[in-house]
Amino acid sequence: MKKLFFVLVMASLLLTACGGSATEAPTASNEPVEIRVWGHQAPAFNEANQKMFDDFMAANPNVTIKYETFPWDVFIQTIQTSLPAGNTADVILIPGGYTCRYAAGGQLLDVPADVMTLDAAKDLFYDAPLGGQTCDGKLYGFPAEYNIEYGGAYVNPALFEAAGVAYPPAWENWDAVLADAKKMTVLGSDGVMTIAGLHYTNSDQLFTYFLAGILEQNGNYFAEDGKHFNFNSPEAIATIQKLMDMTQKDGVVDPIIFNADSEWVGDSFAQGHNAIGVLGSWYAGDAKIGYPDLKFDYVPLPPMMGSEHKFVSVGGWGYVVGKSTQHPDIAWKLAAFLGADQANVLFFNSKSATIPAMKSVAADAKYVEAVPFAAAVLPILDAGAYQGNLTDPDQLAYEIVYPTILDAVQGNLTAEEAANSINEAANAMVDAAQ
Amino acid sequence: MEITSLFKKEIVSNGGKLMAKQKRFAYTSLTPILLYMGLFTLFPIVWAVVMSFFSYTPIREGSGFLGLGGANPFIGIDNYIELFTGTSKPAEVFRLAVKNTFLFTALVLPLNLIVTLPLAVILESIGERFKTLFRAIYFLPTISSSVALVIIWSYMYAPGWGMLSLMFKAVGLVPPKSWLQDPNTVYFGIPLAMLCVVVAHVWQDFGYNLVIFVAALQSIPKTLREAARVDGANTWQEFWLVVVPLLSRTVLLTSVLTVISSLQVFVIFQLLTRGGPKNQTQTMLLSIYENAFKFANNLGLSAAMSMILFIIILILTVTQFRILRTEWEY
Amino acid sequence: MTTDAPKKPSVGFVLGKSGAYAILILGLVGTLLPFFYIMVSSLKTTAELRQTPPDFFPKKPTFEHYTTILTDEKIPLAQNLFNSIFVSLTRVIITLFTSSYAGFIFAKYHFKGKNLAFGIILIQIMIPFQVVMIPNYLLTVKLGLIDSLWALIIPAFIDAYGIFMMKQFIEAMPTELMDAARIDGASEFGIYSKIILPQMGPPLASLGIFTFMSTWNDYLWPLIVLTSPEKRTIPLLVVWFQTQHVSNQGLVLAASILTLLPIFIVYIFLQRWIVDQATSSAFK
Repeated sequence: MKKLFFVLVMASLLLTACGGSATEAPTASNEPVEIRVWGHQAPAFNEANQKMFDDFMAANPNVTIKYETFPWDVFIQTIQTSLPAGNTADVILIPGGYTCRYAAGGQLLDVPADVMTLDAAKDLFYDAPLGGQTCDGKLYGFPAEYNIEYGGAYVNPALFEAAGVAYPPAWENWDAVLADAKKMTVLGSDGVMTIAGLHYTNSDQLFTYFLAGILEQNGNYFAEDGKHFNFNSPEAIATIQKLMDMTQKDGVVDPIIFNADSEWVGDSFAQGHNAIGVLGSWYAGDAKIGYPDLKFDYVPLPPMMGSEHKFVSVGGWGYVVGKSTQHPDIAWKLAAFLGADQANVLFFNSKSATIPAMKSVAADAKYVEAVPFAAAVLPILDAGAYQGNLTDPDQLAYEIVYPTILDAVQGNLTAEEAANSINEAANAMVDAAQ
Repeated sequence: MEITSLFKKEIVSNGGKLMAKQKRFAYTSLTPILLYMGLFTLFPIVWAVVMSFFSYTPIREGSGFLGLGGANPFIGIDNYIELFTGTSKPAEVFRLAVKNTFLFTALVLPLNLIVTLPLAVILESIGERFKTLFRAIYFLPTISSSVALVIIWSYMYAPGWGMLSLMFKAVGLVPPKSWLQDPNTVYFGIPLAMLCVVVAHVWQDFGYNLVIFVAALQSIPKTLREAARVDGANTWQEFWLVVVPLLSRTVLLTSVLTVISSLQVFVIFQLLTRGGPKNQTQTMLLSIYENAFKFANNLGLSAAMSMILFIIILILTVTQFRILRTEWEY
Repeated sequence: MTTDAPKKPSVGFVLGKSGAYAILILGLVGTLLPFFYIMVSSLKTTAELRQTPPDFFPKKPTFEHYTTILTDEKIPLAQNLFNSIFVSLTRVIITLFTSSYAGFIFAKYHFKGKNLAFGIILIQIMIPFQVVMIPNYLLTVKLGLIDSLWALIIPAFIDAYGIFMMKQFIEAMPTELMDAARIDGASEFGIYSKIILPQMGPPLASLGIFTFMSTWNDYLWPLIVLTSPEKRTIPLLVVWFQTQHVSNQGLVLAASILTLLPIFIVYIFLQRWIVDQATSSAFK
């Protein structure tokens, strides 16, 4: 039995070691190959991807695709922990802003020139999403979509009607948005807000509009070295003040009930708890599946701080290939099939209701027909830029900018204090990463 | 005589062999176990200590042993200096987390005792059949999956229409507009969200201390209590003069255990409040987890945080063993 | 003061018998109501779950969420259930063996370095999991166990608590039987398997149940080391439902109930041992 125990230990160690680190010889093209793909757990994404995988497997009968999806938090963690471990999927549908971090650490393969050159990609894709897949002048993947949290909002016709507000709205400027939002805000008999006129106090939204507000006033949030930040400029302070005023003067939302952790804008909108929900058009697809009876539209929002639209984007989801793949050629073939083939990209963006990163798809009438919601933001796609190297975009957005501005909006900080606090923490983050 | 001496001789010589055989058995059996402990317990401890002196993230490929060195350089006690005095967000949040962890513990302990001690006394006083039933049900939350319990409490605390809000309204009280996400509702310096987590945690955890107290009460010899009564003590005096002193060591020990376990609560903070609002429920363990696995993958800094947590727990554990060593006789 | 001296020491002096029961029943309701509420809520339709304010009881109870979770092929529930059961049972078997075996040696043998060896094992109790979480994770990576169920099993071969418990128990066993067996020519391992083990039913059962429950409910370590959906254990599945963009509360509730149910069933049958075990482990 003692021996047995020892054998058991050794056997299990050996077994798993074999399973984990077996390095297969390069396979001939007809040998069966399993390609693992990782993606985000979003119903609209999954349906679109599954069909393309089926097509790919039909065209390449020796390839089996194993598609694994994760909710956001788990996904980020899985990528962070698995990439360094060399235990990733072959093809990863990676969130915007992450590509360069892992490329710099040597964890991703760059796109082979025979698959696509950077110049060819520049002709094909918009700057903002392509920027997210380009690091140090090298192309690391194909942008699958153009993440744009800016410039559009969900509107609920029933709530507009109930408040006697014209529908669909055609807002000329931000004041017009606020005027309508005020009319639709409803307080319960106990004074607690039951319907927010304008729900903008979410993490992504406060972050997006903070950066965009600075740019709309022709400011810049990077310091001169291009690495550090300049978050206490007059433009930044004015933007925070505006975000605060919308709550404290106009009262269109109660940021204690409505924020990223409580009444998340998407679900909140779908359940009729806010009349105008500021959120990217990507949610339309999810909402249609999750709330089939919901009536809603996605409409353009005017610029908040200036007269012209200006914004930055985190880039968007993109297809990249992990360096641990055993089959780089097939992985790139699949990545290009998914991310660079016009017909497939059209299909994916149409089906998942995402904004195209590929210019020709955005211009395609079939796309607009399939995703009417996108019409709100299609005209401003050229006005967007990639957000640049934010050191740790998640930490900046979710740990520094969002909580601080939310704190100010909730009435605990002045705009200057918030700006200084963000500036200090953001630059400390850059220093710590040096 | 001859026979016994012969026998003795044989036993002695055989005994020597037997002892050697037994020792060999003990050593060969323990060797794999100790090697295993070396790999999975001692080595990680040393590794954690060493890592806390490096700027280490597995995203960068370091040059030295275990990836320490090169791109992941040795930085002395900089991680600790950063945690104690730094202005970066993780350091600031961590200092807040230390405070919150202690606040949580300081609230959990008295609330737990206030609930469990009287309940144990009452429970001990009733008939055996019902005692077992009640005890079994009170113990139910402690054996349940924390994840499922957090789901339960997210329904209890849902703003506006959650069970608690509805119950408040039913008795004519005004419920807070948000139980878990309002940073501005603070009672005596204690954020509402923290209070809510404390209540949920005590609900989930009180069964442990309860059954321990009941067992301790049962183990008090009946003769002592009878003797007190013979001496003319009333029930009240009997309780204070006999039961309480005999229970005090158990209470002390249980308190230390409660404190140690409170410092390590994770699931409810990660899933119910996610450390919010405004980091008011951010704890040390959540900071360790987030810095290691969610944000910058800064494992060196996280390791330093876990060392600080370890030292706190070590002090408490030593205290616990001290208490255990003081033998009390009934 | 007391008019009738109670046989049992009672708190009657403060509350009276009915008062005591009133408090106990109040506590009972407080303990069970939350469980009961999500159980009945899991039988509501999606529309009813989204209704505000909600009714306590469903108008038309439906098992649709359970059917969905059990039949939707995109949800690897059967696989996840299997994972939880497999990991829990494997850990129980291994823990019972290593704990009783090492406990036996520490209890019944005298050799040089015994205290040191025992001290090394006790370190595991002293070190909170969070301290070694990061190195253990990296170690798991290096061993190639990431995203494998073995990552939940192999680092848990040795349970210091279990060894401690078993040592206490075996120390109390008489040595005479062992000596007699030796004279009869039994091997040392034979003594363990034929003499010690058969006497250890109750403590092994307690340790086994506890190991099973704590493994079943484990969340943080699986969260860190498992990535694929079909490798998940049940608690991870619940969280996965909970954090989707379009929250499907019905599925979250159904999955939660499915997480709780097996433990409750075990508990109903074995509650006495479980409670006793919790009591004794705190004192040893």
